[in-house]
Amino acid sequence: MRPNFFHHLHPPSIPAEQSRFRYTLGAGGLGIFLSLVLLVTGALEMFFYIPSPEQAALSVQTLTYLVPYGGLIRNLHYWAAQALVVVTVVHLLRVIFTGSFVPPRRFNYLLGLGLLALILFLDFTGYALRWDEGVRWALVAGTNLLKTIPSLGKSLYGLVVGGSTLGAATLIRFYSWHVFGLTLAVVILGIWHAFRVRRDGGIAAPPPKQRTNNARISRFELVRREVLAMLLSAAALFVLAALLPAPIAAPIQAASDSLGEARAPWFFLWIQQLLRLGNPFWMGVAIPLIALTTFAALPYLFETLPTDQQGHWFPRAGRGAQAIAAGIVLAWLVLTILESLR
Amino acid sequence: MNEKDVTRRDFLKLITNGLLTLSGLLGLGGIFRFLTYQTDPSPPTEFDLGPTTNYPDGSRTVLPRVPAVLLHTKDGYSALSLVCTHLGCTVNEDDSDGYVCPCHTSRFSANGSVVRGPADRPLRALRVEEHDDGRLWLYTA
Repeated sequence: MRPNFFHHLHPPSIPAEQSRFRYTLGAGGLGIFLSLVLLVTGALEMFFYIPSPEQAALSVQTLTYLVPYGGLIRNLHYWAAQALVVVTVVHLLRVIFTGSFVPPRRFNYLLGLGLLALILFLDFTGYALRWDEGVRWALVAGTNLLKTIPSLGKSLYGLVVGGSTLGAATLIRFYSWHVFGLTLAVVILGIWHAFRVRRDGGIAAPPPKQRTNNARISRFELVRREVLAMLLSAAALFVLAALLPAPIAAPIQAASDSLGEARAPWFFLWIQQLLRLGNPFWMGVAIPLIALTTFAALPYLFETLPTDQQGHWFPRAGRGAQAIAAGIVLAWLVLTILESLR
Repeated sequence: MNEKDVTRRDFLKLITNGLLTLSGLLGLGGIFRFLTYQTDPSPPTEFDLGPTTNYPDGSRTVLPRVPAVLLHTKDGYSALSLVCTHLGCTVNEDDSDGYVCPCHTSRFSANGSVVRGPADRPLRALRVEEHDDGRLWLYTA
């Protein structure tokens, strides 16, 4: 048979032990599925969305309330985007907690971290595209955060915002980044990420002689499981989309009285909480960057894992990396909960 | 370093990489200039507030389009910017004559000084001028 990308991603057989759901959590595959849902629903939304300050929020209302199935498509896009953040973080933790980030998988781990950062930017730009009262202050605070960066801040603000204040130039920039720039980067890095899995020796497992269980599953079994997972998650997305509509608010008034409390999008609530505590540059820029750099440093700090400990949850030799990752994610969770309880 | 250590191949490689880096940096600089061009005009910094008679002695007027608050006391006119000095959200009036920011709950007193962080600078005092035609102007620059 002629080799193709599908067969590259699905080898004739893979170790049964490491293809179980309780080992992979299905997170990487789910990430790919959610990305596909986002591409399709996002492309459909583009037929109605108008990226201008006067019309953006109204066009979102048209899409949501008037266009047949428009609300469903927008809700699916919203929930797939929220789920993608969760699934990406779960995937990152799975990879760290099973010691799958050490060389030869180090490069792919870094690609994955890059994808996480891009996904957060995609979520924030997508959130901002609503251009309504609900996103207004998060947008003001988020972009003003750039100005706090020493020496680079002012020009970085101009680069992102396209002027000295938020306006039409900002919206069209966020739109271009969201539907083209960031999306293109995620598609390219995502394909590369999936391609590298097999290149790096497939899913992390001990060498054959050190395995307790040498059973393997076939390509057909793997695809069967993937289809099952896709159907289940699609069903979950439809239920969420039907029951919990994506947030929407009134269009931004040029000079309206602001509301009682402004909320960051949930995935940035931790930064909003941090910003209450002190210097905006340290809390809002430096600490998030330090957290990301720490994750990137893990495969350099903990470079080796004995072969007999690979392909299992919580290998003993990987305790340091596990503790650091758990610490960061725990801090993130606590800050998020503290902020959402306010 | 001994001159013999640098072969013709090394030298050419160095020159090639150097030129590639230079052109890359030049390209980045170009993209940077391209992206930072400002298409929209900057927001206004001068506001015509209308005749002074609209603001009688003892009045306190919120001007949402600035945003600022204009005070007329026996000492004359004064104005306070309502842009939070932390990250630029517009502050709201609170129950006790002060101001509170909706983003990170910085609190300011009635005269703009910081009551509670994270803001570390007081609300900006803005210049107000009464022109000869009896109109009041506010300057945010």
